[in-house]
Amino acid sequence: MTDSKQGTSLGGRIRATITEQTSLLILVMVALVIVFNVFSDGTFLSTGVFSTILTDWGALILLAVGQTLVVISGGIDLSVGSTVSLSTVVAGYVLVKVMHLDSSLKGSDAWGALLIAALVAIGTGLLVGAVNALLINFFKIVPFIATLSTFGAAAGAAIIISGGMPLQGPNDFALINPIRIPGIDPMAFDTGLLSPMVILMALVTAIVGLYLHKARFGLYTFAIGSNSFAARAAGINVPLHTAKIYLISGGLAGLGGFYAYVRLAGGSPSSGAGMELYAIAATVIGGASLMGGIGKMWGTALGTLILFTVQSGLLMAGVAPDWKQIVVALLIAAAVAVQTLQKKNGMR
Amino acid sequence: MTGKIIYEVKNVSKRYGSVVAVDGVSLKLHAGEVVGLVGDNGAGKSTLVKVLSGAHDADGGQIFLDGKEVRWTAPRQALDAGIETLYQESGLAPHLTVSQNVFLGREKFVKGIFGWLGFLARKDMDEEAHRDLEEVGIAVPSSSRAVSQLSGGQRQAVAIGRAVSWAKKVIILDEPTNHLGARQAGEVLQIVKAAKAKGLGVIFISHTLPHVLEVTDRIVVLRLGKIVQDAPTSLFDGDSLVSMITGTITELPTKPTTSKSK
Repeated sequence: MTDSKQGTSLGGRIRATITEQTSLLILVMVALVIVFNVFSDGTFLSTGVFSTILTDWGALILLAVGQTLVVISGGIDLSVGSTVSLSTVVAGYVLVKVMHLDSSLKGSDAWGALLIAALVAIGTGLLVGAVNALLINFFKIVPFIATLSTFGAAAGAAIIISGGMPLQGPNDFALINPIRIPGIDPMAFDTGLLSPMVILMALVTAIVGLYLHKARFGLYTFAIGSNSFAARAAGINVPLHTAKIYLISGGLAGLGGFYAYVRLAGGSPSSGAGMELYAIAATVIGGASLMGGIGKMWGTALGTLILFTVQSGLLMAGVAPDWKQIVVALLIAAAVAVQTLQKKNGMR
Repeated sequence: MTGKIIYEVKNVSKRYGSVVAVDGVSLKLHAGEVVGLVGDNGAGKSTLVKVLSGAHDADGGQIFLDGKEVRWTAPRQALDAGIETLYQESGLAPHLTVSQNVFLGREKFVKGIFGWLGFLARKDMDEEAHRDLEEVGIAVPSSSRAVSQLSGGQRQAVAIGRAVSWAKKVIILDEPTNHLGARQAGEVLQIVKAAKAKGLGVIFISHTLPHVLEVTDRIVVLRLGKIVQDAPTSLFDGDSLVSMITGTITELPTKPTTSKSK
């Protein structure tokens, strides 16, 4: 059979659509929701389990967004989970130990303190990102090792600064609780999806996604991951752009730290533990290639949602939490298999 | 019909650790001239190319563009000055489209505030890339197709087309006909001739000596990082060029050798 025949035949077109990662992800997502809804006797969509998971793990999407940029540029950032822990602890430390505020400051009275917490957390994340960029660009350490070092250092620093205990501080739970919409029964529709923090995360994802796919920043990110020699030859300042990417990844992890602060009403030193692997998983499930040059923000967003769905679905179906890791592992393997299939199709 | 000296290096050297890759090379390139740069593997051709294109900073020596001394510390500077380079290692990003590659480093933005925010005018660039490549004599099926989906010949054509359409003064082509079929190689040589007719200075590096003899005005032979011969192409033939490159002769015969025993 010739190329053109295969391309226009119905089978070829169906295969092309199915192997298109985005449509595949939506398919997987819909299938998971249906399966879980059946297993939970139709309560999966209305009980708020999904929104609880979303709220618990909300920072993950920010890490996955940053990770997507890093992975597309051909790198990896293992430090993001520890950065969440460190930045949330530093934010808590500044409010509690430096400014001597405590949890009696509540509601909108706490907004000023929370703004400071946000700035401190993002600043801490940027600092970790800057160290990563320095190790990678200046000391020429490969990203895996460079960010493995900051991963360990940030996790250690989080425990030292906090003394191993959560630093409880001012908070406004309205930021993380569902927005009440008049006329909508929170039991019928999972309004937990619409907390101010979740909306903020969705906005950040959309804006970074637009910059990745429509702006020069993203083009350079893809170019460096695709062929960094070509990028340099075209006049792109590759070290500077790489530094920006790790700074953004760190900054988003810092914002994730602020998220963790708001959810736990303080800085907890273990709040980001293990998140880096889920962030990488979401990115890979979303179709990004660890070889660089390939990836979609859409895919990453869907990949994160699939992780949330699996987690909440297994919980509702009464499966032991340890199975979650196996399911996630299967998803990663499947995502990479699809990528290999696509590559084969493309080369034919 | 060669013009004034457009690009010149004087006594440039480049070392990698203790290895001297380019050793005191001096070279002149005139506007509208094609200079062939030949030499065996390891003679220093690719290193010299990287010095000329700004990818490497030379360790010593001077570089002059239009008679003014210049110093490149990044490819960007050479590009901005009008020097385009086609590298032997692919200079294209395979995951990007043809037009993204053509415009890489010189993007066009949408009008208004979104352009100021860095958003790209993708359609404009697609159309313009198609026109520019056509103008240079390159037909690419679609400029919005990923380079990885093109054949080897098409990729090379895009890379050369990009270099020729952006070059204002000098084009450096490192092995532009490598891995190409006879017809595609012929097209590349046509593009080189067209660039010369436009008044650009062309440095043509190749192992395919018939192509060098066909398209160049002058040939510079490198051996072990040094220039061992710099003479008009008409003084060379296939045999003398090979002997010169391998070092079996060090002086050109006063007339082209006619020793083809037949």
